[in-house]
Amino acid sequence: MTTLRAFTCDDLFKFNNINLDPLTETYGIPFYLQYLAHWPEYFIVAEAPGGELMGYIMGKAEGSVAREEWHGHVTALSVAPEFRRLGLAAKLMEMLEEISERKGGFFVDLFVRVSNQVAVNMYKQLGYSVYRTVIEYYSANNGEPDEDAYDMRKALSRDTEKKSIIPLPHPVRPEDIE
Amino acid sequence: MAARGHVQDPNDRRLRPIYDYLDNGNNKMAIQQADKLLKKHKDLHCAKVLKAIGLQRTGKQDEAFTLAQEVAVLEPTDDNSLQALTILYREMHRPELVTKLYEAAVRKVPTSEEYHSHLFMAYARVGEYKKMQQAGMALYKIVPKNPYYFWSVMSLVMQAISAQDEKLSQTMFLPLAERMVEKMVKEEKIEAEAEVQLYFMILERLGKYVEALEVVQGPLGEKLTSELQSRENKCMMLYRRLERWAECNALSCKLEIVPFDPDDWQFYILYFDSLFHLIDQSWAPPQEGLESQEGEVHASTAQAISFMKDRIATEEAKESKHLRGPYLARLELIRRLRERSCPEAQQLGEPLELMFQFFVKFGDKPCCITDLKIFLDLLTPDQHVQFINRLMEAVPLCAPGEDGVALPGDTRALQRHLCVTQLSRSLGQQHALNTEGKLGLIKELKAHYQHGLQFGKSCLKTELQFSDMYCLMAAHVYVDLWLETGESNMLWQCLGLLEEGLSNSSSNAQFKLLLLLLYCRLGAFEPVVDLYSSLDAKHVQHDTIGYLLTRYAESLGQFAAASQSCNFSLRFFHSNQKDTSEYIIQAYKYGAFEKIPEFIAFRNRLNHSLHFAQVRTERMLLDLFLEADISSPLEESVKSMSLCPEEDDIPWDSLRDNRDLTVLVSWDPKDRQLNEEHKQRSLEEDTLWLRLRSLTLRLIGCVSALTHPPASRNSEKTTENGVTAKPSSLQSLLSQLENTLNQATQLTEKQLQYPFVGPVASRLAQALSSGCCQCQLSSLQLPLHLQELETTGLDESTELQTQISNLFKSLAVQLQDMLEKCKGDLLEVKDGQSKPQPFLLENLVYFVESVCIVLWVSNYCGSVLRPLKSSLQKKKKKKKEASTVTPPVLSAYQEFSSSLQSLLNQALEHIKSQELSLTALELGALSLEGQTQSEAEETFTKTAMDKVHSSYLRSLQEIGELLKKRADTLKSLKI
Repeated sequence: MTTLRAFTCDDLFKFNNINLDPLTETYGIPFYLQYLAHWPEYFIVAEAPGGELMGYIMGKAEGSVAREEWHGHVTALSVAPEFRRLGLAAKLMEMLEEISERKGGFFVDLFVRVSNQVAVNMYKQLGYSVYRTVIEYYSANNGEPDEDAYDMRKALSRDTEKKSIIPLPHPVRPEDIE
Repeated sequence: MAARGHVQDPNDRRLRPIYDYLDNGNNKMAIQQADKLLKKHKDLHCAKVLKAIGLQRTGKQDEAFTLAQEVAVLEPTDDNSLQALTILYREMHRPELVTKLYEAAVRKVPTSEEYHSHLFMAYARVGEYKKMQQAGMALYKIVPKNPYYFWSVMSLVMQAISAQDEKLSQTMFLPLAERMVEKMVKEEKIEAEAEVQLYFMILERLGKYVEALEVVQGPLGEKLTSELQSRENKCMMLYRRLERWAECNALSCKLEIVPFDPDDWQFYILYFDSLFHLIDQSWAPPQEGLESQEGEVHASTAQAISFMKDRIATEEAKESKHLRGPYLARLELIRRLRERSCPEAQQLGEPLELMFQFFVKFGDKPCCITDLKIFLDLLTPDQHVQFINRLMEAVPLCAPGEDGVALPGDTRALQRHLCVTQLSRSLGQQHALNTEGKLGLIKELKAHYQHGLQFGKSCLKTELQFSDMYCLMAAHVYVDLWLETGESNMLWQCLGLLEEGLSNSSSNAQFKLLLLLLYCRLGAFEPVVDLYSSLDAKHVQHDTIGYLLTRYAESLGQFAAASQSCNFSLRFFHSNQKDTSEYIIQAYKYGAFEKIPEFIAFRNRLNHSLHFAQVRTERMLLDLFLEADISSPLEESVKSMSLCPEEDDIPWDSLRDNRDLTVLVSWDPKDRQLNEEHKQRSLEEDTLWLRLRSLTLRLIGCVSALTHPPASRNSEKTTENGVTAKPSSLQSLLSQLENTLNQATQLTEKQLQYPFVGPVASRLAQALSSGCCQCQLSSLQLPLHLQELETTGLDESTELQTQISNLFKSLAVQLQDMLEKCKGDLLEVKDGQSKPQPFLLENLVYFVESVCIVLWVSNYCGSVLRPLKSSLQKKKKKKKEASTVTPPVLSAYQEFSSSLQSLLNQALEHIKSQELSLTALELGALSLEGQTQSEAEETFTKTAMDKVHSSYLRSLQEIGELLKKRADTLKSLKI
């Protein structure tokens, strides 16, 4: 019970109820514009009948096809507190996966704070598994230690043998990921 | 910024260290290295440019520019120089020079794909659409790649969009673009989705919807695959434009049942819209063939009702994961049928019952309130009590405890109960309670809040507590009570409660926002700084919620914090221009053509932001108030901010209100909620206030120019940076200020109360009542008369002198009046309760601002009167006259300076005494009578009081310091 549509610049003026969440990053304008210019189809917003923004997903397609690393990536996914527990995040993920399927991606991946158990569990329920741990991926600014990320993946139909999601045995450093 | 030559050139090797220095921010070494290289290789132009970049980055703009031009006139064609110059010009904010650069380059190397492409992008950066069109075509002729061709087409579309003359767009630019695409279609050269998108855009803008539909539905439409449901969405849009309601209806029906997302609200709306259009047209299916191209059409109420029933039956048959859409759509259909007075509405059921059923199904979802809120007006007022009681029956609560409050046993029950409470507030039931009733309600809400905390014991710091909203609602009821009774105790307790809430749920943005607003309303800005920073508002949020900070910081006398908050916002706005241009170029590269007009509109929306204009103006005023004639002369300050009195840089006619006025949650009934009138009025007030401030600022610029007329300079930069004020501009600005002041007075007479969590009132009303606007106007009028006196001299100006003398006298009276309005206790203690009187603080700030302006003006007056006086004395000496009367204007001025002295002393004494009495005030001894607080709660309330108290002291201190510095400048007024 939602209107799903392309995210536009004007939505940046209305997304406070989503972005004032402590785990949702508000990026600089260039970051959003880069996604809108390059992967507009991957940037989707859900709107309630009263016009409130409920949540959005922002993603991209990247990686080498030859090395079977061409994939969809979830850059940001956030739902406003009052619109949680409706399966909206799952819906938005499903859309991103479908778009990635159409683009011939081998898998979809995302990074999540290891401490964000709620999100990790949700992604697991959606069929994602931890592919590797990235050490100190999230830099803290308040004197606390930097936090690790899980790189979670879900294979798409093109990866018939699900090769892309075989977990790496060792954690990696941020500079080692592409 | 590394140079990426295709072949390793020895020059690349030589230049490498300079690049590295620049990349690492070591500009000095970069310059040295470049100098060294240039000694050996005089003709290594790129080294010169790199040196210029180093100079630019160390603040030597002029030198950098001269050096760069030495290379530019040579019209370089080497990659390194071109790229380096591009970077330099961009950093200098002179993107137009990049176009010149590549124009020369393509002239010299006419077959270079790379240079032509750079030229295209350079034009794109500055929005030279016609030249882009030509550059695109030139590129396509050299290298026949489709994207280049379509860049050119898009440039035509941009010419159409930006053309002043709509006719020109429709008859020339767009048809030309259309023909260009058609040519490619005919030659079967269309390759990419982006090209089809662009074709669609053109047809849409031409209003050729039928043709557009053919494209979408035809073979070209098959390329539209990136976006989900791209073709369906486009068809739907076109059906609506074409008013093909049958197709619209059939397609929305289909999309609601079959496809990817069976719960999309927009299709329900389209379904109903089209349905009623068809009914109104008495649509009948065609004699033969399909009902519509899209399949079955619903064209009667009966069909719609049965469609809704089917949809609901499907849901009911499901075990789990019920969709909310069908149930809400049913309510929507009832609303629409009722609007048309269709008795069939009854067939769908009684709204009260349906909403109850919805609640039974979805009441444990936090969004239930948002869902049902929009349908509450389907209930008649006499159903409200019944409705709430009915819902309450469906909330499983445990037996009431000692305090008589029945509490939920788990989070689902809690959420249900909360939803009923929210609905009750939305129906106005809480507002209808008397004081006692409201206090009782608060007690109950607090009990629920406290009780609910147990469910969230394992919540992470980043999560909200399940019962947070009870706390917030109790705070709202406190605010209601405060607004009704004026009892400040309600406010203190409200603050305490929210502080407590925040201590249990440190990420709750709603707590922070309401606290922030309340502290501001109480005149206490100090706690606001931390609250706002804990919201971690960034970038565009400085535009949408930055107003919460910038509206109050300066007016409450926290000048340091005010500068800082303006800076946050300004930094964001200034980066916008450069940033957006880069992504417009990216959009061309990636073929995201529909994003190009969107990005341009976005850039304008930010550039024309009301808040941007406000912080720009306030920041300059603030700098002047704090520094001009203190740390540097007024003239220097004005010059350093490139303030030009004749230039009005605010786009008055296209100001955009980007504030997020609904960022604070509210469950108030409809008649108390933010409406269009509030928004309109708030914008109007803020705009008028901005106009007053901007005119004041420009007038200060004039005064500065009069005091220190700029030396005439020949360089072309004079008009840009120097201050040039002609007397005519003084006159005209004064009359504009006077007009604006009149408008402002009229506007504030029409009182309009905003919802508490809606827009914050502008500073207009308080400023007017403090008398500062009138006082500042009067003082700014003085220079005009003094100018006249300067030309006429003392001898034949009796009338003028009297006029000026009277102005001085009146100004002294006005200032005295203003000061009187500052007197009183900021925290007034009465019957053991403390009542904050923040308006006294605001008045004090207005007084200080006015003093600043009066002093600058007086300084100018002194500079006019001083030579007049000394020439008078010389004359006296010559004539050896015993004693003549001092000309009235001189004695009036001297009198005025001494009354200023006494005024400032008075003000400083007042501030001192306020500081003393505040320090002596023992907040601990104050009772919080008539309240419902536990000891723990009281501690939080005391904390809040301490914060307000400390903030007041800090404001007084900052204001006092500024006033002292101003008082020190008084001696320069001597003549």
